[in-house]
Amino acid sequence: MRKVTCVASDAGGTMTDMFFVDEEGNFVIGKASTTPRDEFIGFWESMKDAAEQWGIDLEKESQKVLPSVEVISYAGTTMMNVLLTRLGDKIGLIVTKGQEDHLMHGRGRQSYAGYSYDDRLHTASHIHEPPLVPRRLVKGVTERVNMFGEIVIPLYEDEARQVVEELLEENVNSIAVSFLYSYLNPENERRMREIAQEVMKGRDREVPILLSSEISPIMREGSRINAVTLQAYGAEPVRKQLLSMEKRLRERGYKYPLQILLSTGGIARITYPRLIEAFFSGPIGGMMGARAISQTVGIPNLVCTDLGGTSFDVGLIIGGEYFYLREVEMGRMLFNIPTVWMDSIGGGTGEYIRIDPVTKRLIVGPESAGAEPGPVCYNMGNTIPTVMDCMLIMGWLNPNYYLGGKLPLHTKLAYDAIKEKLADPLGLDPYEVAEGAVNILSNRTREEVRTRLFARGLSPADFHLLIYGGAGPLLMAEISRGLPFKGIFTVWWAAAFSAFGVAGMDHIHRYNRSTSIYVPHGAGPEEKMRAGEILNEIWEDLEKIANKDLDEEGIPKDQRKFQQVAYLRYFLQLDDVETPSPVNRIKSPEEWDGLINSFEEIYSNVFGEGAKQPEAGYQILEAGLIATAPRVKPALRKRPVSGESPPQKAYKGRRRVFYHGEWHDAKIWEMELLEPGNVVEGMAIIEQPATTLVVPPDRKVRVDEWGFLWMYER
Amino acid sequence: MEISKDVLAALIDGKLDWERTKAIISGEKDLDRFDKYIEILQERVPWKEKIVLPLGEHLYIVQKDREYVVKCDCGYEFGDYRVNWKLNALIHVRDTKEKLLEVYPYPESPGLPDPEYCNIREFYCPNCGALLEVEAVPKFYPIIFDFLPDLGTFYSDWLNRPLPFPTEFKDLTYDVTKEWRKELEE
Repeated sequence: MRKVTCVASDAGGTMTDMFFVDEEGNFVIGKASTTPRDEFIGFWESMKDAAEQWGIDLEKESQKVLPSVEVISYAGTTMMNVLLTRLGDKIGLIVTKGQEDHLMHGRGRQSYAGYSYDDRLHTASHIHEPPLVPRRLVKGVTERVNMFGEIVIPLYEDEARQVVEELLEENVNSIAVSFLYSYLNPENERRMREIAQEVMKGRDREVPILLSSEISPIMREGSRINAVTLQAYGAEPVRKQLLSMEKRLRERGYKYPLQILLSTGGIARITYPRLIEAFFSGPIGGMMGARAISQTVGIPNLVCTDLGGTSFDVGLIIGGEYFYLREVEMGRMLFNIPTVWMDSIGGGTGEYIRIDPVTKRLIVGPESAGAEPGPVCYNMGNTIPTVMDCMLIMGWLNPNYYLGGKLPLHTKLAYDAIKEKLADPLGLDPYEVAEGAVNILSNRTREEVRTRLFARGLSPADFHLLIYGGAGPLLMAEISRGLPFKGIFTVWWAAAFSAFGVAGMDHIHRYNRSTSIYVPHGAGPEEKMRAGEILNEIWEDLEKIANKDLDEEGIPKDQRKFQQVAYLRYFLQLDDVETPSPVNRIKSPEEWDGLINSFEEIYSNVFGEGAKQPEAGYQILEAGLIATAPRVKPALRKRPVSGESPPQKAYKGRRRVFYHGEWHDAKIWEMELLEPGNVVEGMAIIEQPATTLVVPPDRKVRVDEWGFLWMYER
Repeated sequence: MEISKDVLAALIDGKLDWERTKAIISGEKDLDRFDKYIEILQERVPWKEKIVLPLGEHLYIVQKDREYVVKCDCGYEFGDYRVNWKLNALIHVRDTKEKLLEVYPYPESPGLPDPEYCNIREFYCPNCGALLEVEAVPKFYPIIFDFLPDLGTFYSDWLNRPLPFPTEFKDLTYDVTKEWRKELEE
């Protein structure tokens, strides 16, 4: 029997994807419907599906298979659900007096966060969600730290005692504290915690006290209050669910701790204290996978596109690395949580298609049918056609091979719905309408890719385009049409690409802290050293926190690696650049210059040599630390190249396919049976249980030695 | 998006949850949405005149003989729709701290206006006493004419049918206040 060593998952809104790696680095993927009420069910079904590909019956043989698994990692929606369904803990929040309404008011941007572009402009639809903490459980205490980090009003201790009493009286399960400018000076917050602990001792009841200066010592009050509130509100309920998941895996033979994906681009054990970083892991797994491919295969610049049922995500990898956002939007709120950058727009194959009654235009989206009720062809009660229904009647999708045939698709239902709801009212042919709707989606995705590049002054000619997500390969030719990429490719495991990324991830934590450093142009050694000392102090503090976290997760000391970073910008610029420090502490003015040189090198790579502006001086408003430890990963391996013509066993027959207004007699191929070197000419369809690659008449696809599928013009 | 009359009635009554309300706000409108909406309102008022356009929570522009007039749902008529209906409403002005504190809960409320600078005017129906509109304006500011619709264009360009009989799109409020001024001067 195969020895499975690594299992990674990615639970999306529709599907839970699974990725199994054996000791030689071979891998298979599995898929099952996500089960939001108890995610373990979908997780386990998906594991069984993956195991089945290797002839393992996991239900019967789990005690034999799972003990050899060194790591199981989970990425998914459990955490987000706690936030979206407001199922978190009852907590109290203590803020600087006068700030009590902060959560109620919310930031303006939150009132349209997560909306489609149309709705963002449509103010009548803007609304603030109810706050995570009801107003009566938010208490103000007189105190004030000013913008220089000086205490101008000391903490009023009698008030502090009073509010803790009141909150305990309300039976809160934890208390979050967020004072103004506490990221510059945490003294008042710390004193607040001491007083709370004294009060609790007196009442013989203890609840955790969380400080914003420890959870998220970053400027921007709203996002900081949100971050500490979410940690208090959601972390423990989430941990409980994850622990129950881990317990059930252990009952089935798994021996080690369950691991989770962090938005910071790393993996941590579920005992990791700053669990808020696990709430938003959305499309990050895919970016990790793309970086692994970029670094293994040696493709430095990648545009990564993930097309699924409900959204289309675009991210960039430049020079083998991705970028970070330091403020992230999730569940219609903004949080100070560093997150791997990827832009998401509505635009998936599950989107509804309608006719605007006034203009008689086809409208695609923004709402999507999701997993329930799904497209019309699922036959689960939906009668409004979706893009997927169009692709089905056009012959792109195989009705008997969706999820390997586990979910039969009803072509007639889809055809009738498109005819009745779209084609007849417009007086057009149903197939023409179907192609029109697909074109709207592909134009939108192509425009998104184009904008992401051109808005940054980048050219597709310097990039390769990587396409993944269950629906990505369907539109591979269309997303790239007219954009002169160096190359366009996908992989046979495109449908579980995010899970692949999770499997290949190191143990990484990121820590950030705000500060305020300015060093003018031509500064003397003293000024440089003063700046260096501020950085050294922050790095020292962050290393302490990192070591504490890693201790709790049980990572041995000799496996830990720390990279000190500073966020540098020219004075008064609005954006900064994450600059890894060449040294772990700045001990001389020359070492400060070394940091500046690294910054200017990255800066000129991103913005161009001529954009440098040293005479403005340098500013640092945030510093950070990246802590890493290695882990077992799947191996990408080359295979020998065989001839151009695919083996007979990969040929599945012919199917009529509608493309560019005409019916074609397309050859159908089984994706996983194609061998390196094989070339498939369009019009052809290359199928895999979880994804379908459409090769139009003017294109061909070649499999390379890594097993990647490259699309070329014929 | 096709919305049934029942759902539309629930929307008018504010009985739909936000998710469904948002879907209706953001969705495209059925061609007969306006007529359905008017039908529901018409069924709810005790009088017979046809509603041409709703004006607010209690007010409607209705067709009365060869005139379009503003009418409260109790039946009280405010006259020609081109004259600011507020001129014929009962007005309560909150221009002292005492009066303002009746609506602002705390003396230290940050939103409490300075009565020397800002007044709150409430407009009531003289017949049923329903609160019809509130405006917060600088002291001595003229009464605001909230909305003078171009009925003819709305009907011909948006509903694709002519208004039952034509009307000139023109603000007649000034004609009335001019008369008042004359009376005062005499």
